[in-house]
Amino acid sequence: MRKLLSLVLAAAFLVGLTAVPAMAEDVEVKVFQLKVEINEAITAFAKRYSEATDGVTVTVETLGGGADYGGALKAKMASDSMPDIFMIEGIGGYELWKDYLADMSDADWVKDTDLYYAPEGKVVGFPIGIEGFGLGYNAEILEKAGIDPATLTTLSATKAAFEKLDGMKDELGLDSVVSVGTSVSGGLWWVTSQHVFNAFYAGYLDYNDSSVHDNALKGELDKERLTAFANYLKMLYDYSNPDILVNGNYDAQIAAFAQGKTAFITQGNWIDPSMKQLGATFKMGFVSHNFLEQESTGLYIAPPSYFVVNAKSSPEKQKAAIDFLNHMALTEDGHKYMVEEAGMVPAFKSVKLLPPGDFSKALVEANARGGNYNWYFGQNPDGFNQNTLGPIFELLATDGDVEAFVNDVTAAFQSIAK
Amino acid sequence: MKRRAYLDFLFIFPCVFAFLMVIIVPFGIGIYYSLTDWNGVNPVINFVGFKNFTGMFREPQFVYSFLATLGYTAINVVLVNVVSFILSLLVTGELRLRNLYRAGFFVPNLIGGIVLGYIWQFVFNNVLVNMGATLGIGFLQKSLIADKNTVIWAMSLVNTWQYAGYIMMIYVAAIQSIPASVLEAASVDGANYFVRIRRILMPMVANAFTITLFLTLTNSFKQYDLNFALTNGGPAMRFMGKAIRASELLAMDIYKTANAANRMAEAQAKAVVFFIVLVVFSVTQVYINKRKEVEA
Amino acid sequence: MSTAELRDGEVRFREKRRPGLIVGEILVMLLFVIFMLPFALVVINSAKTAKEIVLSAVSLPESWSQIFVNIRAIFTDPTVDYTSAFVDSFVITVISLAVIVFFSAMCAWVLVRNKSRWSTFVFLAFVSAMVIPFQVVMFPLVRWFKILGDAIGLPLLATYHGIVFAYLGFGCSMSVFILHGFIKGVPLELEEAATIDGCSQARTFFEIVLPLLRPAFVTVLILNGIWIWNDYLLPLLILGSAGEVQTIPLAVTAFAGAYVKKWDLILTSALLAMIPIIVLFLFAQRYIIKGMVEGAIK
Repeated sequence: MRKLLSLVLAAAFLVGLTAVPAMAEDVEVKVFQLKVEINEAITAFAKRYSEATDGVTVTVETLGGGADYGGALKAKMASDSMPDIFMIEGIGGYELWKDYLADMSDADWVKDTDLYYAPEGKVVGFPIGIEGFGLGYNAEILEKAGIDPATLTTLSATKAAFEKLDGMKDELGLDSVVSVGTSVSGGLWWVTSQHVFNAFYAGYLDYNDSSVHDNALKGELDKERLTAFANYLKMLYDYSNPDILVNGNYDAQIAAFAQGKTAFITQGNWIDPSMKQLGATFKMGFVSHNFLEQESTGLYIAPPSYFVVNAKSSPEKQKAAIDFLNHMALTEDGHKYMVEEAGMVPAFKSVKLLPPGDFSKALVEANARGGNYNWYFGQNPDGFNQNTLGPIFELLATDGDVEAFVNDVTAAFQSIAK
Repeated sequence: MKRRAYLDFLFIFPCVFAFLMVIIVPFGIGIYYSLTDWNGVNPVINFVGFKNFTGMFREPQFVYSFLATLGYTAINVVLVNVVSFILSLLVTGELRLRNLYRAGFFVPNLIGGIVLGYIWQFVFNNVLVNMGATLGIGFLQKSLIADKNTVIWAMSLVNTWQYAGYIMMIYVAAIQSIPASVLEAASVDGANYFVRIRRILMPMVANAFTITLFLTLTNSFKQYDLNFALTNGGPAMRFMGKAIRASELLAMDIYKTANAANRMAEAQAKAVVFFIVLVVFSVTQVYINKRKEVEA
Repeated sequence: MSTAELRDGEVRFREKRRPGLIVGEILVMLLFVIFMLPFALVVINSAKTAKEIVLSAVSLPESWSQIFVNIRAIFTDPTVDYTSAFVDSFVITVISLAVIVFFSAMCAWVLVRNKSRWSTFVFLAFVSAMVIPFQVVMFPLVRWFKILGDAIGLPLLATYHGIVFAYLGFGCSMSVFILHGFIKGVPLELEEAATIDGCSQARTFFEIVLPLLRPAFVTVLILNGIWIWNDYLLPLLILGSAGEVQTIPLAVTAFAGAYVKKWDLILTSALLAMIPIIVLFLFAQRYIIKGMVEGAIK
């Protein structure tokens, strides 16, 4: 009997031993973030900060490959390992994590930006940077084809440029005119059903005019505007490489552009580091997604996501977390991290550094010029862009049926309108 | 032998306790949740009756996933068993390297669905497309998993590749238990190879069919890992007037409903339906096979 | 055995039908090559750079030493801790197996030897629960583990002991079933003799019964081991895709995230995930095949 008991205990001990021990001496601020491309930079920055700051250790965890961040966060909540600083992308995350968002209205960094996130008056989100997208172009190829990107401000101008380039494909060494992907399984659904479609929500409107998107959420979509957008999208599809369009992944999409096999790409300034990595030396810039004849040079610019501080962390941790964000926004070291190391376009006014990448520079210029458009896709319900719009956008690539697309999108919004 | 009740209890306690905590209690909670509006985050849970169950059959993606899963299962049950039966005949014949062959056919089964899924995604999207382009083979130039008409077949192909070796070994075990004298006698009677297989061998391994059909049926029906890593549901297609994902099987639809859309209760209701259908199908299959065994 | 050269179960191709045998040889060789091809592709492409793979997926690598560069890249990747995933997978598999085998044997033995109504009931409960698919219990399980963990003050999610406990719950019904069948065939006389010699019930089990079960353990270990090593959904739910404890399948999916598909790293990590299990197979091929087939037949 005693032998048995000891065996049972030993087995229990064996199991118990393996429990992860939690040790904490310093105030440990855990950051959980989803931008793989800035992982190295922010980890190094957090390390510098921890070394320079007594009693505080900031550790960064990045979700590999930009996988299901919301799901990972839910798992962390379920297992009581919520981070002290995490990210939300907009209203969807706000609604879900409302109870977890600390009020930062009095934080020092708030005074240095207009782009903080405060959907209900109190400031909860720290803009990690500004990102923007449009129709990216390869200036070298356009020049060879005799096209001035500054003239691509209307639908017909863009269309004419596409036709011209398509006719010169062999001469210019192009596979296709534009590099665009829409595959749900290849993980490129967001390129079209979030970003390109944002042109429909925001294009040709004032920066803070959310009427088109508000109406869409009510199930009311302007058929004419949507059809115009659908025709524009179909044009992008028609002038793209079908292998990448329905089959490709992110790597394939940006590699084709970086290797000069396409003249345009539907991406944002976040591809700057990859362009450098892939050895693209040509000049690059953005034109607007022109789906109407109205003149426009606006880009789609907004903070893609916000750092939020976990209101359920201990008060010391919350304070240490806000200090860390202040340091990021307001010190030279923080600016160096944001601009030079992470390659972001900062949302803070005190920053004087210029980002290194061409696309990011184009954003800074566009920002100074004005006439840009906001982002609204982040306000759609959780999973809607990927699971409902994603297949609709992919379907247009296979069947090319604009009318069905317009009906599908309208029905999709009506199904969530209540 | 005298047994002490408390010792007996102590002996079975760990298993029974884990079993209760991990399967029985969650199973009960799950049935309850399927009748509520549980969303996974909100702590307040309201009872809603059968709303989740009636709603799912109006949802094109679910109806499609349901049918696709039945189709996928049917294809697999036939394909896996035909291939593995042929393999088992081949490797029980007088071949030189038969042990090597057995091992080779068996190996894919040791590798997990996630790893296999990525490997085959690579094969379909890169290798075959590449070959199609180089050799000018038309149908290969477009990836088989990017076409709604071929994607389920492509998945079945991978599943067969993974599973056939295992099923083959079960047939091999059954065939090896047949006394050689029986087959010998038949060949002396002058029956040709195929007649011997059909008349003598197949009836004698009837109980192996019960097992293999059961395994392939339940395995295909529950497919998730391979589905996730190979296609993640794509490509898109139109069904009941809506754009949906053409290779999203039931298990994946359940997972996506819960995780991507925060509709936990609906996902749970789908899982309950999934469970009932699976039980009905597998019980029916075993019943039919058992009757056949007796007839044989 | 009826004839000298033909063993039981051998289906004769020969006797005046030599061509049939040749057709069989060719067919099986062809199938074998097709079955092995994907593995060959993994090995070839693990030794290429991402760029080489994009250029051609079938050509041989420029330099085989690239495979070491890729392996290094995997083990030093900033977002995926492959080393610890490897260790975690190993630890989880080994401890789960030890726990499953040990407790299932205890349970099965009592269920066989204690012939009462409740032992039959418990056994039937184990057997009938085998039809419950994982999908039905997975979401409530996570929530229940959270509640349970809070109640006992020991978190079950994202911990080793939590997932080991879950594996015991999922693994024990089949294991008890297999061991139950085996123990039924063990003669009771041995145990009775031990009792007469003054052995306690516990000693009888540990010193007499347990060693006798060794052949059945092989089956149980292999069936559960392959399942646990390759399992994806349970670790995903219990450990989370970004928890501190990670397994190899979770790590592999991290390389294949939704935005970026680094084929050089995915294929190399797939290769690394396969190697231990294939090496094990080469050494214990007979037991593995026997174990898995017996597990299915019973």
